[in-house]
Amino acid sequence: MNSESYAYIGRKQPQIDGLAKATGEAKFTTDLVLPRMLIGKLLGSPYPHARVRNVDASRALALKGVKAVVTGKDVPGKKYGVFVSRMDETGLTVKARFVGDPVAAVAAVDEETAMEALGLISVDYEILPAVFDPEEAMKEGAPVIHDEYERNIVADTHYDFGDVEAGFRECDHIREDNFFSQTVSHATLEPRGVLADCDVAGKLTLWTSTQAPFQVRRDIIRALDIPASKLRVIKAHVGGGFGGKADTYPMQVAATLLAMKTGRPLKIIATREEEINVRRRAPMSIFTKTGVKKDGAIMAQYLKILADSGAYSSTSILMMYNSGLTCMIPYRIPNFKYDGYQIYTNKMVTGAMRGHGANQPRFAVESQLDMIAEDIGMDPADLRLRNASQKGDTTVSGLHFVSCELSRSIEESTRNVGWKEKRRQKGTNRGIGIACGGFVCGARISGHTASGTNIHVHEDGGVTVITGSADIGQGSNSVMAQFVAEELGIPLSDISVIAADTETTPIDNGTFSSRVTFYGGNATLLAAREVKQMMAGIAATLLKSNAEDIVFRDKLVFVRDDPSRSIPFGKLAKATEGMGHGRLIIGQGQWAPTNTQFPDKKTKWGNVSGSYSFATQIAEVEVDTETGQVKVISITIGDDCGQVINPLSVQGQADGSVAMGIGHALLEQLLFGSNGQLMNPSLLDFKIPTAMECPPTTLLEVGTPDPIGPYGAKEIGEGLLITTVPAICNAIYNAVGVRITELPITPEKILKALDEKKRREKP
Amino acid sequence: MKRRLELTVNDECLDVEIEPHRTLLEVLREELGFTGAKEGCGLGACGACTVLVDGAPVLSCLTLALEVQGKTVTTVEGLVKNGQPDPVQKAFVDHGAIQCGFCTPGSVMSAKALLEKNSNPSGQEIREALAGNLCRCTGYQKIIEAVGSLAKPR
Repeated sequence: MNSESYAYIGRKQPQIDGLAKATGEAKFTTDLVLPRMLIGKLLGSPYPHARVRNVDASRALALKGVKAVVTGKDVPGKKYGVFVSRMDETGLTVKARFVGDPVAAVAAVDEETAMEALGLISVDYEILPAVFDPEEAMKEGAPVIHDEYERNIVADTHYDFGDVEAGFRECDHIREDNFFSQTVSHATLEPRGVLADCDVAGKLTLWTSTQAPFQVRRDIIRALDIPASKLRVIKAHVGGGFGGKADTYPMQVAATLLAMKTGRPLKIIATREEEINVRRRAPMSIFTKTGVKKDGAIMAQYLKILADSGAYSSTSILMMYNSGLTCMIPYRIPNFKYDGYQIYTNKMVTGAMRGHGANQPRFAVESQLDMIAEDIGMDPADLRLRNASQKGDTTVSGLHFVSCELSRSIEESTRNVGWKEKRRQKGTNRGIGIACGGFVCGARISGHTASGTNIHVHEDGGVTVITGSADIGQGSNSVMAQFVAEELGIPLSDISVIAADTETTPIDNGTFSSRVTFYGGNATLLAAREVKQMMAGIAATLLKSNAEDIVFRDKLVFVRDDPSRSIPFGKLAKATEGMGHGRLIIGQGQWAPTNTQFPDKKTKWGNVSGSYSFATQIAEVEVDTETGQVKVISITIGDDCGQVINPLSVQGQADGSVAMGIGHALLEQLLFGSNGQLMNPSLLDFKIPTAMECPPTTLLEVGTPDPIGPYGAKEIGEGLLITTVPAICNAIYNAVGVRITELPITPEKILKALDEKKRREKP
Repeated sequence: MKRRLELTVNDECLDVEIEPHRTLLEVLREELGFTGAKEGCGLGACGACTVLVDGAPVLSCLTLALEVQGKTVTTVEGLVKNGQPDPVQKAFVDHGAIQCGFCTPGSVMSAKALLEKNSNPSGQEIREALAGNLCRCTGYQKIIEAVGSLAKPR
């Protein structure tokens, strides 16, 4: 069945909660209020590395309106974290590891009182030597940030597939280059927040801005040593995540503890300064060595990456795994070696961010491929086409591509922009550049990652979809509703979605690794089909036909060959309920791919994702050689995300990725002072793109339905961002002949490089 | 000491006793229950708190509530008339101009103010009018399309 014959799949669907968001009705955590609610605030350490000897909260507690103060000594000290093997956070700490690391929290009747109370808490610190640079931090004798981690190495990941040395020996040309990708903020418009409530029986409820309520529950019950059944975590409307809200954050622990202690509801909302200081993208220094034959065939590649973890682990081992893994996706590389290190430093924490570990090496490798293409006199698009992964490929690392339209994406995007002509244009400061990439649809490297959905059909034919998948703004609730609408032949307006509540919805790991449509979508399809099968059986009896011949469409249920024999969907629901002794129309679905393996502990071999997305991105830029300003004129994307479910959402992901990529390439950088303190924690000083900087994007859908994804869909949320940055870098080189290897590409760097180029050319 | 503030919010005359240092955003959200306007930064950098004061867009996080004494304030909730959303709100929904929705109330108000002043804005004029409303999700394209769809050629 192609998308032409679908009623809802592949059709533009506004978000089902769009009107609630447009009218101000949608409730984010900050909008929630409970009677007798207190306000909480966190006290951060002013030192990058210091042991808390004592906290004297007596003056704060004496202030009128202050209800409680808790410190690192009030948490049991059981560590939590994203990975069981890397648990290193306690919520409130007795040893501060970065400036701002929370050491205490206060509950008060209002924000002003809470702020005043923070100033009245005296903390006696034993200041410890600190280290801020990952290279320094991994030297023998450097200050140890977590006792269990020698030389501060929190993750070291190594791959060695094929025979890299032999591969390099076969090459006609080899390049070795160094790159640096800076650290940036997620800069979600919504600062994170939490509202905690403790009832008289001790049952706790949290409403919070999170991508992963089940992870929050797992971490908090551990941190505070309470039974899982005593804590309910509900995702409120979330104002963007991009990976930053994928793990538990200290204010969630602190709010829970303060609610327990005071017996009153308590809300903590981060200021922008606090928000930016929680998570960021890891900066990475990347050494890349790539060897090719004369015809451009890649024979071997080696990457060595050094990443800054900041003060805690967060997603470290997955990030470093991804950095290597995702290098294997877009191209056939017969011999591949990778050494990835992530190092603790006394700075704020790095973690997952859209593209998670893939962006930084993609920038390096795609930049270097253009350098190689120039060296061997080959068109960069042809070089990529020569090496592009193909459907059916299994990489040397075990990744298996059940669908792949990368070659088509290169061909169609280059054709669309008039690549050959534009590459030849000389004497202008305009240039065009290409980059390719691919991404997982949910990487599973440990634990369970299944998703689940339950569906209830009401007596009037209305449907409630209850899913563990967390909509954080990307529109997954709408996509789940689309799947159900298509299966049951009812409009989206008849469907409501309840999502991401640890007490009422199926368990789900959360929204990350581009897994939601792929996993949650398949689970939803299974649930819808269970409902459909039950109702089709009843319809067959009523319409004197066979269940296989029953069609659900346009709120009618009818016999395929004789649509006049029909019953409205609502009537069928009512009739089904009344059948026999009475029955409920409930469908359940749970899903995880069966074609994956955990990566081998030693070699890292294994297919970690059911399927993979592929994309080509072409940037056209104009460089002002007087000011060094780069203007992105257009971005054209050839994208294989399989079957498009909602073109509005898919285009939205593309536009949003491009904007974030422009920020990463040209504008954004978090800066740290000599004491490791974040120096620009505001949206005035950390500049993200505005409506003035973002060009129109052209999205060419080149995918075919994937055999595993729901209705053939694959991911698009993360994979597109990873190619924007290198496409811009390559376009700048094409425009003015300067290669910037350290991000962001500021006007100063462009001018300096132009100056050096001029001097080189005219000695 | 609390001061008395009289103002019109979304066609309703209201008076409220407030501390003089309270911002318009705080009073709207915490005293009057209009939580549509959001605080994204508290420094006037993001535009999520944009509301209209006598028809002009202002950053309510940087406006002291007492500055709007006797004035008319419109928040995103006030654009809904007789249960019907404003054409700007509907266009944002239909064009996919909303993802997470946190910046949406502010962006909608900036767009509304633009269209009231200029019924046929160009793409560039739309970009300029929305340049103070940061959005991290949409890349702005669909917001610009949504506003553009309401432009009425003279």
